[in-house]
Amino acid sequence: MEKVYEIYIKTTPQRLWEALTDPEQRAIYNFGVAMRSDWTPGSRYEASSPQATGLLMEGENLEVDPPRRLVQSFTALWSDDVKAEGASRVTYEIEPVGDSCRLTVIHDQLRDGASGELFGGWPMILSGLKTFLETGESLTPPGSLRYAAPEVAG
Amino acid sequence: MDEVFKALADATRRSLLDALFTQDGQTLSALEAGVPMTRFGVMKHLKVLEQAGLVVTRRRGREKLHFLNPVPIRLVHDRWVSKYAEPWVTALSELKTTLEDE
Repeated sequence: MEKVYEIYIKTTPQRLWEALTDPEQRAIYNFGVAMRSDWTPGSRYEASSPQATGLLMEGENLEVDPPRRLVQSFTALWSDDVKAEGASRVTYEIEPVGDSCRLTVIHDQLRDGASGELFGGWPMILSGLKTFLETGESLTPPGSLRYAAPEVAG
Repeated sequence: MDEVFKALADATRRSLLDALFTQDGQTLSALEAGVPMTRFGVMKHLKVLEQAGLVVTRRRGREKLHFLNPVPIRLVHDRWVSKYAEPWVTALSELKTTLEDE
């Protein structure tokens, strides 16, 4: 099974690449989850959040071609159900279009009937990424607070 | 955003999106089989959906596959619907919690 997501963001490919690979920036729009790696081809990456115990995702960087293309194997670890799904693959393609970038995320090598938990978060993540890059702010729809730090009152 | 609302304001186009929701990555021929409409009609509707960003296509060999891209709907929600809907949703879910705790 394969899912394809596409979004236009008013930014540069370099800036978009940075937002995808810098763990602090990633956490802002990705449910508070930081993805750490040295981003060399064949290297590993690990995703975690201070709000969750253990790793939430892990995989290998199969292709690293900044600021154009990143291909990762993707193993979700946040529950026994998603662990049972095994590894799938996520490809990010960045293409400059006028004063913006088109970002395409292809999540494939999913088993037929794979849990929506694996790919269902992409629209929220990409919407948050757009807001972050275009306004510097973070979106806080309820679902995206899942692994985010609790807000400090006052 | 106008293009998204216009694209969604048509029952046939919504049924094409539903078809892709059920089975993503379909060819034109497969989509055509699911609606009582000519190939040309389906192509016209798919073009409107593509222009709104609700459908994206990928080439696979000699086939062109259509995928449902729900991102524009999320953008509409995050930038437009949520400010109206969420205070209510929050209030209602708090009410539900309060009542259930009693």
